[in-house]
Amino acid sequence: MTTQAPVETTMETKPLLMKVRGMSMSYGAGPAENKILENLDLDVEYGQFISIVGPSGVGKTTLLRCLSGLLKPKAGTIEVSGTKINGPHPDLAVVFQDYSRSLMPWMTTRENVAFPLQGKGIGKAERNKLADEHLAAVGLEGQGGKFPWEMSGGMQQRVAIARALAYNAKVLLMDEPFASVDAQTRFDLEDLVLDLQHKLGVTILLVTHDIDEALYLADKVVVIAEKPATVVDEIVTGFGETRDQLATKADPRFTEARARILVRLRQD
Amino acid sequence: MKESTISPGLLWTLRIVAIAAPLGIWQLVIASGTMPSMLPGVEKIFSAISEALGQAAFWGGLGKTLLAALTGWLIASVVGVVLGLVIGSVRFLDNSTSILIDFGRSFPVLALMPVVIMLLGSNTMMEIVVVALSCLWPVLIQTIYGARRQEAAVADTVAVFRIPPMLRFTKVLLPSALPLIATGVRISSAIAILVAVGVEVISQAPGIGRQITLMQQAQRWDLAFAYLFFAGLTGWAIALLLQQAENRLLKWKRQNDD
Repeated sequence: MTTQAPVETTMETKPLLMKVRGMSMSYGAGPAENKILENLDLDVEYGQFISIVGPSGVGKTTLLRCLSGLLKPKAGTIEVSGTKINGPHPDLAVVFQDYSRSLMPWMTTRENVAFPLQGKGIGKAERNKLADEHLAAVGLEGQGGKFPWEMSGGMQQRVAIARALAYNAKVLLMDEPFASVDAQTRFDLEDLVLDLQHKLGVTILLVTHDIDEALYLADKVVVIAEKPATVVDEIVTGFGETRDQLATKADPRFTEARARILVRLRQD
Repeated sequence: MKESTISPGLLWTLRIVAIAAPLGIWQLVIASGTMPSMLPGVEKIFSAISEALGQAAFWGGLGKTLLAALTGWLIASVVGVVLGLVIGSVRFLDNSTSILIDFGRSFPVLALMPVVIMLLGSNTMMEIVVVALSCLWPVLIQTIYGARRQEAAVADTVAVFRIPPMLRFTKVLLPSALPLIATGVRISSAIAILVAVGVEVISQAPGIGRQITLMQQAQRWDLAFAYLFFAGLTGWAIALLLQQAENRLLKWKRQNDD
């Protein structure tokens, strides 16, 4: 564990992988306009793990849908590797909250993972090989012939993670990915994602309402609150690469950051 | 589905009774003499059935009917599925064609027959066209329903991973609509046989329907009924085969719904 100074907000000048400026989103127009997000800025560095935490109903899913290109923001820009994006982008992959529905039940897990690769024009032998490799990476070695409905919720979410990783995007966007699994499975999946991030060097942006999860996983926690939602705080965690479900969560910096976020959200 | 609590043995006994009972009533009605004498009894039809099996004309007729019914049904299935997937998945096409399709489904296609006969003559080609027109609607409508109700999560996944349109069509849209398509295809298989035989009876195009008419004209009512029996048997066999295929293809569907 590093001996970096505890909880503090920093402005670093590393090259940015993703840059969001002045993003606003609303539904409807005129007096009935429902503003969800307002003037949101976000910097994502290469290899960073960023958690976006906020209370339920604040607009986290809307934010993630905007970032993934599924929704077009009303204002502002999103840049990936210096290029503005206007929709889904090959550098962005998403792990959805609703994993059981985002996997195609008529495809085996291997076919599910290989499917986006087929869309990229990768040949059958190559994409099946990639699919098997990524299934093995998420701990599902030799399970490629099974159907999603033959697996538990945690295993299905592993398949969704393997699919996103195999797509070889630079940024992995995760929308409350562990919200509907039991506590132990959740811890296992959290550690799996951390492990994969270090091994593969992928940049991850994860949205959650769970403050502990946000802190445990992230290099930087972005707190969003208010209505319409905007960034109200940013915390660099500084826990380093090695984390432990017990030790890290008992770290004084963890409890201090936790309190800071709770206070920030209570003011809201 | 309701859980059946009776034993298989009893079930089969009941099924045989269910078949035997109407036959018994038929025989009773014939024996009572209230019906015109040309109506054959059950035993006469049974002997006519075995007689039909030895006739070249019967087998030829059955073959022609099957050929026309299956060809028309296949054409309708392919056209219906492709059109249905396109219409059901494109909002503005769906909205703009709904009146036309509702009209088409309630249109009595058999009434079009004189026009089709005029255009094509009283032959197998004409029969295929009428069968296809009749079979198209159930497949088309079921496919549209199937393509419409796509899971939002699946649509998001397809968008995020930038799946090209053709791949989306064959690997996502088609399989997700398959449960409803299967129902449409099964319904129209029954319609295919019905319409084929009906067309032959009315238009005298070659086939089992024409044989039925010929037998009636020859006062061989027993053979006419025997042919009818085979027409029904064929439809039943096709439905059974389709049910088997459906069970295999849609294994994921039943598992997923549990």
